[in-house]
Amino acid sequence: MNDLIRSAIAAEADQRVDSRTVMAELHKRKKARKPFGLIVGVATLTVAAAAAAVIIPTAVRKTDASPAIAPAPAATGQNVLLLGLDDFNHADAIVFAHFGEDGTVSAVSLPRDVAARGEKLNGLFLENPWSLTGAVEELTGQKVDHYAAVKMSEFGRISQAVGGVEVCLSAPAKDKFSGTDLPAGKQTVQGDQAIAFLRQRHGLENGDLDRVKRQQAFLTSLASKITKENAPRLAQEISKSIQVDPSFDVLEFAKRFQGPVTIKSATLPVGEAKATSNGQAFIVDPKDAKEFVGKQFEGGQPAQFGCVR
Amino acid sequence: MGFDQFVAERLDRLLAYATAITCDKHLAQDIVQNVLMRAQGKWERIGAMDAPYLYVKRMVTNDYLSWRHRRAAREIAVERSELAKHVPSAADPADAHAEREAMRARIAVLPRKQRAALVMRFYEDCSDAEIASVLGCAESTVRSQLSRALQTLRAHEIARSATMGVHS
Repeated sequence: MNDLIRSAIAAEADQRVDSRTVMAELHKRKKARKPFGLIVGVATLTVAAAAAAVIIPTAVRKTDASPAIAPAPAATGQNVLLLGLDDFNHADAIVFAHFGEDGTVSAVSLPRDVAARGEKLNGLFLENPWSLTGAVEELTGQKVDHYAAVKMSEFGRISQAVGGVEVCLSAPAKDKFSGTDLPAGKQTVQGDQAIAFLRQRHGLENGDLDRVKRQQAFLTSLASKITKENAPRLAQEISKSIQVDPSFDVLEFAKRFQGPVTIKSATLPVGEAKATSNGQAFIVDPKDAKEFVGKQFEGGQPAQFGCVR
Repeated sequence: MGFDQFVAERLDRLLAYATAITCDKHLAQDIVQNVLMRAQGKWERIGAMDAPYLYVKRMVTNDYLSWRHRRAAREIAVERSELAKHVPSAADPADAHAEREAMRARIAVLPRKQRAALVMRFYEDCSDAEIASVLGCAESTVRSQLSRALQTLRAHEIARSATMGVHS
């Protein structure tokens, strides 16, 4: 039967289109590409769409020179799931954020290895975005109003657009998987090193959990770098690569947030790691998770980042 | 290896692979084109890898397996199973062409991931480890995907020869 399978697959493959047609099409698209669209050549990455929802509101507010535009009426809080995708559309950074009416943002990072629906959170988005939002609702007891996803590899460009992002490392970081090579102490990262900083999880004591701390520190610092001058360019960069659910009007959403944005962030505490078909996953007590997220969305601690691992 | 060189050397093979897993040349073309455009943006990194082809193949496979193509994949499968009904079931078993077409139709209705594993094993002669790295799963999962696919194909094969036995 194996020979039969071989010849059947070969017959299927023989149906392919002429590669010259595809070559011509690639050539055409290459020419049509805007120079601005050059993607920073890096990374199977980590961080977050997160900044997107944080940055866009801030950017819109800061570019809005004339205060004539009235904020959208009756703004109620909204819960948005922010995702940082790697090159394969795995959600490597998952931030569940509550955008309050008063302009506060309370964010909870959900470690990507949390067990959900017999899998890990990070694989669910690839399957179907609504599978992930559903799992997050089950886990946290909060409604997911919208989601926004950004390729982690975009953060190199984003960090460059603001002239680098200041972070602080408690020890030097060197790792061949992510290409990280950074000294200890306060420093400004951008481009490839920003991505490496966000992506590294090997060689860190708590692996992905330490990486989550880095993401939070990075995003908080990034948000503080936004000025009236760089805001339009940033908004442009981000809107190009952001992927949102069909009913999410990001600009309309952004108008609701006036005044300075304060970000409060925390990480969902996880329990024991358990073996699943997709490797080790963290078990989370549903009751604890709901309580934790509920408290964080109501108030929570302002982000205070010293140095991270 | 430069991007242009990679495309010149591998494009045809990528298209063949994508066509075999998607069972639809137009969908395969779309996926390969989009993936190559994306790969080009980060070629500095991909080109420096030991196995750029494996990486790009992983991008193609993941793209096909993602939710975005779920509906297209389902429609293709439905269309194929309709077509399969018209493959004469009482064909002369010696008719190699009919037999191969029947097998093609059966492969086309397998679950996507099983078919991807099958194509990598029987068309690209990949090892379990290579298939595992492309599918992003454990080697044991690859083996179970393959054995399930073979089981399905074998069951059909038996049913088919039994039917033909009655007719002959």
